Amino acid sequence: MAEVEKQVERLLNSKDFVVIGKGIARVDSLEAVTGRLAFTGDLLPSNVLYVRPVRSTVPHALIKDIDFSAAKNIPGIVGIYTWRDIPGINDAGSLIPDRPFLAVDKVRHYGEAMAIIAGERPEAVDEAIGLVRVEYERLPAVFDPVEAMKPDAPKVHDKGNICRHMKIRKGDVEKGFQEADVIIENTYQTEFIDSVPPEPEIGLASPDQDGGITCIGSMQNPFDVRWKVADILGLPQEKVRVIQAATGGGFGPKSDETPIDVCAYAALVAYKTGRSAVSIMTRDEAMVTQAKRHKFIIKNKTGARSDGRLVAWESTLIEDTGAYISKGHLVIVRAIFHCAGPYDIPNVKADGYCVLTNNTFAGSTRGFGAPQAFFAAERQMDELARKLGMDPFELRLKNLLRRGSKTITSAEIEDDGLAMCAEWVYNNSEWVRKRREYEEFNRKTRGPIRKGIGVAMIYHGNTLGPEGEDFAYVDVSVDKDGKVSVRTGLTDFGTGAATGLLMIVAEELGVTLDKVRMERPDTSKVQNPGPTVASRVTAIGGRAAQEAASKIREKLKGVAAEMLGCPSERVVFREGRVYDSENPENKVSFEEVVSQAYRIGLELKETGYYIAPPTKWDEETGQGKPYNQYTYGAEVAEVEVDVETGLVKVVRITCAFDVGRIVNPIGLKDVVHGGTIMGMGQAIMERFIHEDGIVLTDNFSTYWIPTAVDSPEIIYHLIESPGPAGAYGAKAMGEIPVVPPPAAISNAVAHALGVPVKQIPLTPDRVLELVKRAGET
Amino acid sequence: MEIEFTLNGVRKRVQVEPNELLLNVLREKLYMTGTKYGCGIGECGACTVLLDGEPVLSCLVLAADVDGREVTTIEGLARGEELDEVQKAFVEEGAVQCGFCTPGFIITAKSLLMENPNPSEEEVREYIKGNLCRCTGYMNIVKAILRAAGVIPQTP
Repeated sequence: MAEVEKQVERLLNSKDFVVIGKGIARVDSLEAVTGRLAFTGDLLPSNVLYVRPVRSTVPHALIKDIDFSAAKNIPGIVGIYTWRDIPGINDAGSLIPDRPFLAVDKVRHYGEAMAIIAGERPEAVDEAIGLVRVEYERLPAVFDPVEAMKPDAPKVHDKGNICRHMKIRKGDVEKGFQEADVIIENTYQTEFIDSVPPEPEIGLASPDQDGGITCIGSMQNPFDVRWKVADILGLPQEKVRVIQAATGGGFGPKSDETPIDVCAYAALVAYKTGRSAVSIMTRDEAMVTQAKRHKFIIKNKTGARSDGRLVAWESTLIEDTGAYISKGHLVIVRAIFHCAGPYDIPNVKADGYCVLTNNTFAGSTRGFGAPQAFFAAERQMDELARKLGMDPFELRLKNLLRRGSKTITSAEIEDDGLAMCAEWVYNNSEWVRKRREYEEFNRKTRGPIRKGIGVAMIYHGNTLGPEGEDFAYVDVSVDKDGKVSVRTGLTDFGTGAATGLLMIVAEELGVTLDKVRMERPDTSKVQNPGPTVASRVTAIGGRAAQEAASKIREKLKGVAAEMLGCPSERVVFREGRVYDSENPENKVSFEEVVSQAYRIGLELKETGYYIAPPTKWDEETGQGKPYNQYTYGAEVAEVEVDVETGLVKVVRITCAFDVGRIVNPIGLKDVVHGGTIMGMGQAIMERFIHEDGIVLTDNFSTYWIPTAVDSPEIIYHLIESPGPAGAYGAKAMGEIPVVPPPAAISNAVAHALGVPVKQIPLTPDRVLELVKRAGET
Repeated sequence: MEIEFTLNGVRKRVQVEPNELLLNVLREKLYMTGTKYGCGIGECGACTVLLDGEPVLSCLVLAADVDGREVTTIEGLARGEELDEVQKAFVEEGAVQCGFCTPGFIITAKSLLMENPNPSEEEVREYIKGNLCRCTGYMNIVKAILRAAGVIPQTP
C-alpha cells in the first residue's frame, strides 16, 4: 500500500505521462460508427415477450376498480399482472422505499404504473392497454411546491409534504445585514427539465436454468437494478444477474427509478412465464416517467459594503421533487451547499426544503441541483453589482473563494483554481471591451437586436460527499499473452469514463492502450463498486484502477528485475517495454515479463479499492467539510436578443475549468461541449410542462432541445490544480460544464435588455415580457 | 404482403404488414439493428437511412413503400474493414459519445456530402439540424463532417 501511495505521489508530481493526457477517442467508437455497438434493443431473442405497463391518466386518485376483461381477450396477450402478483416487495424507489412498483390503491402522479401487460407482439400489448378500464376517485392534488408546504395542503403521502429541511448557519446573518451598506432581495425560479437520454429506457430479462433471472438493460447502476429486481421478485440477490448493455445516454435519470422499472417489468414476466421478456419505453412514456431536473424557487437576500464586499447572505430554497422523493433529499443538499455562489461570505443563513407535489417525480440530473442554485446566486450577484454601480466581474473578483477562504460551510479552500479560471476568462473573453461595446451598440441601434455579455462563476463539491459512501472497486487482470482486462461495475453511458479508466490502467502498467480492454459491467463478475453518479468514475474509480494496476506492476517488477539482472527499483514499464532505468538498452517486452510470471506461477489478477476520506458536517448548521475537493469554473456568455421575436441567440461561450488533472483531453472536450449546450438548453429553451399534473411535453415536438444550429462558438481552457482525492489529482468534471450556462446566459440577457431576469428558461414569450418591462422603466 | 428491395447492395425479400414501418422491418425482420428508434415521430433523426440515396426517417416510412427500391443503412457504409471517410472522421474527431444517435448522424452526413461535397460550416449545421444529440454539443460532429469533406484538416 505504501508503495502504491508513493507511486501515486510520484505521478501526481510528474507531467511525464505516456497515456494520461494524450487525446484518445472513445474506446468503443469504432463499434458505434459501424452500427455494431450493442444496445439492449439490438439483442432481442426472436421469441421475446413484450411488456408495457398500464399507466394512470390522472395525477392523484384512489383506484376503485380496474377492469381487464376486454384487454384479456386480445389475441397474443400472455399475462396481466398487478401488485397482487408480486412475489417480493412492491417497491421501486431507487434509494428511499416510498414508491410502489405497481400502484396498490392510489396513484400520486400522471403516468404511474398500475399493472403490466405481456404479449407476443407490441401491437397486441398496446391494444390491450387501450382497453383497460380504470375507475378512479379523484383526490385533491397539489402542483405548486409553495402551496404544498402549507399545513392544510393535500398530502401526497401519509406524512407531510416537506420531506427534508436542510440548514446552513454560519456567523450571524442579522448582524451581517446590519453592517451592510446595500441589501437586495429577489426570488428566482427554474422549471422542470428532462435530460432526455437519446435511448429510452429498456430492460430485457431471461429466466436462468437455476431459477434465477438475467437482466440486460440501459442503465447507470447495475447493482441498484439488481437490488430492486431481486427484492421485487423475492429472490436472493445472487439469483439476479444484471448486465449493462451499451447505454444511449444517462445524464442522471438512468441512475434512478426508470431503469429499475423496465428491468423489473420484464423480470416479473420472465419469472411468471419462464420466457424472455422485454420492456421498451416509447419516447413519450420515458419523458413522462423518467426523473426530471427539479424545479426550484429560490429567494436570495444579499448584503454588501459599498465597496462590494459581501457581508451577509440569506437563502430559502424550495425544491419540487414531484410525487416521489427519488434523489430529491440529496439534490437539496447539493443545492444548499452551493446556494451563495463561490464566494467568501462571513454570515450565511440558508434553509432548503425538499417538497412533494403531485407532479411527475424529479431526481438525478447532471449537475444535481447546482445549476439551479448558481442561476439564482449568480443572477443575484449581477443585481448587486447593478445596485452598487460596479462591474459584475470586479464584484466577483473581490469576493472570490481563494486559497485559505472559507466556504459557506466554513470549509477551508486549499487551492487557487477558481482565481485562475476567473483570470483566464477575464482576459480571453475581452470582457471589458465587449461589455462597453455592447452597451454602446444597444444605445445606438435602431434594429431589433440587442447584445449582451454576462459572467458566472461556480465551484462544485466533488463526487458524492454528503450523498453517500464514496468508494470504488476496479479489477485488473493480465492474461498469458499480455492482454489486460479491466472489470468493474462502474459504467460508461457516453461519458468517456471507461476510456479514462483504461488509460489509467495502461499508464500504470506501462502498456499501450490497444492492449487494454474493458469488460461489460456484470453483477455476476464484480462486486458492487458504488454508483456511477456524481462525476466520480475518473476521479474515484480511477484511484481504484490505479491501485489494481500498480499492484500487478509491482508483482511484475520482481520478475523483470531478475530477467534484466538489475534491482527492482530500477525497473521501468513504458509503452510495452520493460527496462533498466540506468541502461535502457537492457530491456524485455511486457509480454515476455508476463509470460515469465505465468511460468513461475504468479497470479496476475488484482482488485483495486479506494474510498475517499469521509466528509463531515453538522446537520443543524451545515458547518463542516461536506466535500474533499472542488472543481472550479468561470464562464462568460455573449448573446444576441431579438426584441421583436423574443429569440435569444447564444453567440459565444468563453469558459475555463479547473479539472485537477487532464486524463483524456478528447473526453474533456466532449464533456465541456456537451455540458455547455445542455446548460444552454436549460437557460433558453427547455421547459418541461405539467398542467395540473398532466404532462404536456412528452416528445421532441413539444420539448425542444438544442440542435446543431443553436450551438454557439465555445472557447474553453482547462486548468490543472490537482486535488487530493482524485486519480493523479483529477477532479470531477462529467457534470460540471452544465452548471454555469443558465447563470451566465441569463446574466447576458439581463445585460442586453437592461432588466433583471428572475426566471428561466428565457423562452420568447418570457423575453418579450422582459422587453415590455424594459420599455416601461 | 411480400416486398423485395436492395438493402446495402443485397437483394432482400421479406413479408411485411401493410402498416409496418421500415424501421421495425429493418431491426426486427432483417436484423439490421444499427438504425435506432429515438422518438417514433420523426423528430430526432436516429432512424435515418438512405432511400434511393436520399435521407429518410425510417420511423415514418412504410416498409411497403420501399418495394423495388434501394435502402442503405449504417451497416452498408464500410467496405469490409475499410471505414467510410465519414465514419473515420467521427472516430478521430471524438464525435461519438454514447453512440446512440451516431448512425443517424453518419447517414445524414453521408447524404450531405453526396449532395454538396464542399459544404461550409453553416451548411453542415443547417443540414444536420434534424438529428438530435444530447452528449456532444454538435461541435465535434460538425468538425468530423467538415473533415470528411476535406474542408478542414484533422484536429491535432
